[in-house]
Parts: sequence; C-alpha cells; structure tokens
Amino acid sequence: MKNNTLGRAFLFLVIAGAIGYGLGLGIDFAIRGGLKFTASVPSAFALLFGFTAFFFGLYGYRGITRGLVFQVVGTIIGAALVTGIRALLKREIISPFLFTEPAWVFGALVGVVSFFFGVGVMTDWVKWARGIDTPDHHEDEPGWQKYFGVSLDHKVIGIQYTVTALFLLAVGGTFALIFRTELAASGLDFLTLDLDVFNQNGPQLYNTLMSLHGMIMIVSILLGISGIMNYVVPLLVGAHDMAFPRMNAFAFWVAVPASVLLLLALLLGGFDTGWTGYPPLSSRAPLGVQMFFLGVFTAGWSSILGALNVIATVVRMRAKGMTAMRMPILVWASVATSIIALTATQLIGLSFQLVMFQRLFGMGFFDPSKGGNPVLFQHLFWFYSHPAVYVFVLPGLGVISELLPVFVRKPLFGYRWVAMSSLGIALVGFVVWAHHMFTSGMNEYLRVPFMYSTMLVAVPTGVKFFSWVATMWGGKIETPTPMLFVLGSIVVFLLGGVTGPPNAMVALDLHLHDTYWVVGHFHDTIFGGFVFPFFAAIYYWFPKATGRKMNEFWGKVHFWLMTPSFFALTLGMMFIGLRGMRRRIVDYDPTLGFDGAHLFLTVCAFLIAISILIFFINFFRSIKHGEPATGNAWNSRSPEWQVPSPMPAHNYEVPFEVVGEPYDYGLPGSKFVEFAAKKAGTH
Amino acid sequence: MSNKQQHPNLLSQGVFIFVYLAVLTALEFFVAVTFNSVAILVAVAVVKGALVLWYYMHVNKLSEGDESSHESYAYKSGTNRLGLWLFLVSDSFVFGGLMVMRLSLLGMTRPDLSQTLGFFVTAVLLISSFFMNRGEVELHNGNRQGFLRNTMITFVLGLFFLLGVIIVEWHAVPAIAEPILHLFGEPEGKPLLTASSGPAGAAFFMMTGMHAFHVLTGLILLVIVWINGKKGLYDEKQYPVEAAAVYWHFIDLVWIFFYPALYLIGTAV
Ligand code: HEM
Ligand SMILES: [Cu+2]
Repeated sequence: MKNNTLGRAFLFLVIAGAIGYGLGLGIDFAIRGGLKFTASVPSAFALLFGFTAFFFGLYGYRGITRGLVFQVVGTIIGAALVTGIRALLKREIISPFLFTEPAWVFGALVGVVSFFFGVGVMTDWVKWARGIDTPDHHEDEPGWQKYFGVSLDHKVIGIQYTVTALFLLAVGGTFALIFRTELAASGLDFLTLDLDVFNQNGPQLYNTLMSLHGMIMIVSILLGISGIMNYVVPLLVGAHDMAFPRMNAFAFWVAVPASVLLLLALLLGGFDTGWTGYPPLSSRAPLGVQMFFLGVFTAGWSSILGALNVIATVVRMRAKGMTAMRMPILVWASVATSIIALTATQLIGLSFQLVMFQRLFGMGFFDPSKGGNPVLFQHLFWFYSHPAVYVFVLPGLGVISELLPVFVRKPLFGYRWVAMSSLGIALVGFVVWAHHMFTSGMNEYLRVPFMYSTMLVAVPTGVKFFSWVATMWGGKIETPTPMLFVLGSIVVFLLGGVTGPPNAMVALDLHLHDTYWVVGHFHDTIFGGFVFPFFAAIYYWFPKATGRKMNEFWGKVHFWLMTPSFFALTLGMMFIGLRGMRRRIVDYDPTLGFDGAHLFLTVCAFLIAISILIFFINFFRSIKHGEPATGNAWNSRSPEWQVPSPMPAHNYEVPFEVVGEPYDYGLPGSKFVEFAAKKAGTH
Repeated sequence: MSNKQQHPNLLSQGVFIFVYLAVLTALEFFVAVTFNSVAILVAVAVVKGALVLWYYMHVNKLSEGDESSHESYAYKSGTNRLGLWLFLVSDSFVFGGLMVMRLSLLGMTRPDLSQTLGFFVTAVLLISSFFMNRGEVELHNGNRQGFLRNTMITFVLGLFFLLGVIIVEWHAVPAIAEPILHLFGEPEGKPLLTASSGPAGAAFFMMTGMHAFHVLTGLILLVIVWINGKKGLYDEKQYPVEAAAVYWHFIDLVWIFFYPALYLIGTAV
C-alpha cells in the first residue's frame, strides 16, 4: 500500500467528514432552529460521509466503498419512504434525530440489504437465480487491494475478519479508556450533567460507552474467532476452501454494515441498558437502542452463517485418512463453537427483535401492563448469551491445545478427552443460562438445578487444564512470543475459571451479582479464552499468511506489558467488587474509599492499551519489514506448515493424506500427513 | 438416478402420506373442538411432523451420497443438502423461541379466533405441500411439464395461504376480511385481535408474522425454480428443486406445530 494512497484516503476522510458535518449541521439547524455543534445529526453524517470517503480514497468506487454508499443511500431512501407514509397518515415525521424511530429502523434495514448489493456479495447468487452459471473461483486482485472487495478465498476472508476484529477491538478499547478515565476518581469529572453530546448528558454518555464497549467487544470476538476458523480450519483439514465460499464472503460482509449500525447507536442518542438490553429499560431507552438491536441482529447472521460453513466444511471436505479421532483439536473446538453459534444465536436475535417490535408496534411481550413478562426476555436472551461465552472461548482453548505440543515438543496429553471436552462444554453450556438470573425474580425452584448444571461445566473444562499441564510436564519448553501468549492464556483463564463457581453458588451470587467482582471474572475468562489465544494465533500464523514473522522483541514487550497490567486490573476489579463496588455506574461514593483503587485500575487500563498499540505497530510493520519466514517457522507437524509460506491461492497443490496422529511430537519416525507427490519420492 | 424403477411408487407414496396427514389434521380438529386433550394434540402434531420430515423432506437423504469423488455433482449436492439442513436447524430455534414465548405468555389459553377458518388455511398449506412433493417427483421422473404444473399449483396455494393470513386473519383489508370472517362464523362486532391488544394478540401476530415471512421467501424460491425449470435447467441437475421443496415442506412443518398452538389447545381468551 503506497503511503500517498493512505494519505489521500485520510484527506478524503477529513474533507467528506467536514462536508457531512456541515450538511448535518444545516439539517439540524432546520429541525431545531438553533446551532448545536455536538448534536446527533451532524455527527452521524460526518461519520457516514467520512468513512465512505476514506475507502473511496483508498480503493475507488467499488467493493466496500460501493457497499457503504449503497448503505447510506438505502438508509435514507428507506427512512424517507416511512416518513412519506407517516406524512400521509398525518403522524409526526421529524424528530431531533431527523427521522422518527420507525423511519430509522426501516431505513437501517434497507441500508443493510442495500450494502450487500453494493459491495457485490449477491452478484453470483442473483445470477444463479436467473439461471446463469458462474465460475467456481474468481481470480483475486494482487496485493492488498483484494481485502477491500469481495473475495471468495477463505484465507482472504479470514484476514478480513481478523483485521475488522482488531479494528473493533481498538474502538471498544477506546470507549473503555474514556469511561475508565471518568472512574479514576469519584465525583463527575468530565462526563458531567451539563455535558450535551449526541443528545446525551455525561452520565448517559457513560452508559452508552459502557454498553457499546461490551457489545462492540463481543462482536469483535465473534469476528476474531471467525478469522481464526476461516483461515485455519480449511488448511488443517486439507480443503481447498470452505464448503460454501459465497456464503463465507457473505457472512463476513454482513459484519460491516452491522458495525456501522453499532457506531450509529452511539451517535443517535445512545442507550443505557448495558450490552444485555433488558426491558423495561430497553423499551424506554433512546433511539440508539434500536440501532444497537439491529446491529447485533445483523452481526448475529454473520455468526450463524459462518458456523454453518465451518460445520459443513469439516463434515464434507476433510482430507483422506482424517478420521474424527485424527482431527486437530482446533477443528474439534471449531465444530463445538459452531454448533452453539448456529443454533443459540437465533435466540438473542429473537429476543432483541421482540423488544424492537414492542417499541414499534406496542406489542406487549415484556410489558406487564399488557400481560407481558420481562423475565421471559432474560430467559430468551441468556439462552444465547451464556452459551455465547463458550463460542468466545472454545476456539481460543483449541488454539492453546493446538500450539502447546509444538512448543513443548511432546504429544498432547489425552487427545480423545480433550476432543470430547469441547463438545461436552458446548452441550452442558446449553443448560446453565439461568445462573445469570438468580436475582431476577425467576421461579425459585429453578435456582438449584441451574446451580448444579453450572458447576458441571467445570468438569470438561478441568479436563482441558489437566491435559495442558500434563502436556507441559517434562517437556522441552521453548518460549517464543506465541508460546508466551499460550502460557498467559492458561494462567489467565485459570483465574477466570476459579472465580466462576462462586458466582454459580446461589447463596454467594446474591451478593456478587452486579458487582465489579463479576466484571473482573468475565474479563479474565474473555482474555484467557479469547484475547490471549487470539494474539497467540496471530503471532503463530502470521508467517503463514505473509511469509514473514512478527518482531520477537516487540512481541515480548507486548506480552510482558500486557500480562501484569491485566492481572492487576482484574484482581483489582474483583477486590473492590467484593467490598461493594457496583458495576455499570458512572460514579461512586468517596466514603467507600475506592478512589485509590480506581485510579490504579485506570492506570492499568492505559498500560494495556499501550501494549496493544505496540502490537498494532508491530503487526502492520511486520507485513513488510518482518524477518522472512517462508518455511516451517515453528517446526510444526501440521499440514499447513509442510508447504511454503505464504500459502498459495488454492491451498495445497498436491493433496495430503493423514497417516498418523496429529500431536506425536518427539516420537521418532511418526508422521501426521504425507503429501501425494512426496510419497512417490521417498519410496 | 439409479432407482428409476421406484418412481411410480414415489408418486403414490405422496398420495398415501397426504391422506394420512389429512386424516390426522381432521382428527386434531375434532379432538380440539370436543374434549380438547392437549396430550393428544401434541402427539398428533408430532406424528404429522415426523411424516413430513421423513417422507416429504426425506431427511434420510442426508446420510446417503456418492463418496467417490469430491468434485461430482452428487457429492456437491450432498454438501449443499447438509448446508440447507443446518440452516433449517438454526431456523427452527427461532420458531422454538416463539413457541416458548407463546407458552410462557398464554399458557393453556389461546387467541380467540375462528377455529374453522384456522382449519381451512391449514388445509390449504397442507395441500400445497402435497403438490410440491408431486412436482419434485415428476421432475425426478423426467417429466418437466408435470413438475412445472405442480409447482405452479403449490405457488398458487401458498399465495392463497399468505393472503388469507394477512388480509383476513390480520384484518389488513377489512372490506374483504369482514364477510369472510362472517362466513366462518365470527359474530358481528366482536372486538378485533390486534398486535397491541394484549399477550394473545402479540403472540399471534408475531408467530404468524414470522411464519408468513418464511412463506414469502418460499414463494420467491418457487418462482425462481419454476422459471429456471421452464428453461430446462433442472432436467439433469435437480438439487435446486429439491432444496426449494424441502424448504417449502419446512414451512409446512412449522405450521403443523403453530396451528395447534394458536388455534386448538386450551381455552380461547
Ligand atoms: C483495556 C481493556 C479493557 C478495560 C479497561 C475494560 C474495562 C471494563 C469495565 C470497567 C467494564 C464495566 C463497566 C461497568 O460495569 O460500569 C467493562 C465491561 C465489559 N467488558 Fe471490558 N474492558 C477491557 C477490555 C475488554 C475486552 C477485550 C472485552 C471482550 C473481549 C471486554 C468485554 C466486556 C464486556 C462484555 C463488558 C460488560 C458490558 C456490560 O455490562 O454491558 N472488555 N469493561
Ligand atoms: Cu453464564
């Protein structure tokens, strides 16, 4: 990527952002009859215009740029349509956010669908529907350009996912830094009551940032695991691509308009519900909550279709000889994750959809005054959102099992048990959801069964830990950066793991619920189960994708800065949580004596942010300047490392056959795969 | 295409299954209006569902397939088939969730709607499924005209169902809805069930709405396979027709459970 291209893109961003801002300001002036520089409409226009122009500068009017243009135009047309109908019905047609809520919702929906047509993921399907055949593969453009348009290559899509996930991680992280700064001392410091940004006062903005931090991070995780699975699973099973390449591309591109909607939620009034969106709060929250619901709903489809593809790929496209019990653990983990994502995701979509309809049409699903039941929402919501935490961590735990034997040069201990434990966690994970509702006023008799089912999850999880420890035992441990992150994952996830059972005990949870203890707990699980393994995976497979290694020194700096700060952060969170710090509040009583602790936590948060900044710089620099690594960079047995890096477009030029166990490191003469051509040579 | 000899049987098998389903649907209606045993209604729905799954959606085809070459049309169709079924599994969680919502909000009560009208629209959908099955088998037999004719009938019946639900049951066009509702024994001046009138209305509109959305997408698929079928695109490569048929039967399958949930079990409120 030439520097002047990037410079032009940023220039376009600024110019178009300014134009959009000015336009929005004018519209806002017309609506409210006064100038307000921090109002919603100008900011929303600035975001949409700027974003689109950025990609225009980078890539021209095609691919993602065209998609975004279509999305913006589609949104406006859809909203104008509803506004027109409302005008005919003599309903109000204008709001402080320009359009009324129904107009925004319908417009956003039309916008998302328009995006698909604009970006071009529908082209082949439309042709098929018209009876026109298309070639199986499309040639990709060379170089970086292919990442900004529709590609059917799973490796390109995997990288698209990963980079989008990193982008959202940065956005969500920035939100966290903002609200963490507000918490550094008691009293309202800069998110004050007289602040008025995006139609929100300071505390309301805190709520919005906190809620969006949660959901944007979750979407980031979903995209991150899709990135790993997309890139690695077909390589591990020896397929030339995913089972449904077009649906694969579709699943990725769904996530882009979804991310736009999530960002719009911040600008269009925000919302104060947390990522959980419980009614009755969410049925009264500002317009932003609708954009949030739609964004999550859309992103959910990415997850569902991606999962479908992974399962079909693993079932139908494995190399010869790869029986179930010879599949790499990461493949098992991906299947387990996908089973959850395929099915349960529908329930969060449904629960949010029901609240949307409650707001739009007055249907009283969760409104007691209309015979509805708010606790029902929580059941539907957590039926997804608990299993979802396993969606987040299972691929990460798979990465740990996958990488550990490589770096200790020993076979994985208890392969069968580890393979089965992923499925076990996934299945048990379906019947524990109500442990989030011990204080919600659900039926009392449900408490104890859900307590026990929750404790049961510890069993298959424990199996994994035993295996990891036993694998390391007596091994020749090497610690390049990926291995450091693997070790970090294990320890951090252990901390997350042991702080879970206390929450599952009803008697304890009545006190722990909604405190910072819980915040500390789930950050440990998420970092241990996703963030650390995600970094490990990136450091590990980076050479496969680029032919270069990421810088070791800065990788180690990243690790040694992030890990202690992270421990301090979550342990500190748990510490003040146990002493009564409520979660999801913008301010706290100075007499609680938490000021010092909070300041410390904020410093830790910034240290983590710095470490991740280092990672970003290392990541982008190494693409061009990293140390060349075109061979078997980690001395692995896995098939993808037996061919040169970067991987050719259609993966293995000669197919391989599985002839042994995947993790028999250190056993002389053992082999996992054999390539057809090589076999002929060695005879 | 090795089992060409069996095809006449498949056509008559479709008829038999249809007769079973029709009898069970009538039985269901009879049970509901006489002694309303929920256990029997559930059992009948399960049997009907199993019949549709096995004979109309031929779920057993999932396990068959040509393993010899990953590049053959048969193998790729097998992969597509798996993909479709995975999608349907995912989709059934939406309908399952709606069912949970209905049971939680309404319990053993149901919306106050004309049961005969419900029976009538159900019959229309059931008959459409019968013709869909015929269309698929005809194509398999190499009879393109038969396929087109039956698919067209399926489409018309499906459209009829969709319009029936929206215009009459939802009261979208009162001028048409009033006389028809009257015909089906609804008294004049009965308060309308609306989406915002209470839990029964909310559940009814949400469930029929989600189902109607699927009917709409099914109709679009039918149009596509009809047009392409007319061009002769499916004379050899028949998987798309199978997919459209399975999807259409899935819509029927969902209704097999939604129909008793909305029209039959419990007492009307
Ligand atoms: C610099 C790193 C991070 C910091 C400082 C941080 C801080 C916080 C804090 C303070 C809260 C609680 C807000 C409140 O209850 O008032 C929170 C919530 C949350 N965080 Fe983080 N976080 C970080 C990274 C992450 C990551 C990487 C993820 C996911 C991968 C994540 C997921 C969540 C979720 C799901 C919530 C719950 C939001 C809600 O309750 O609606 N966080 N975070
Ligand atoms: Cu949970």
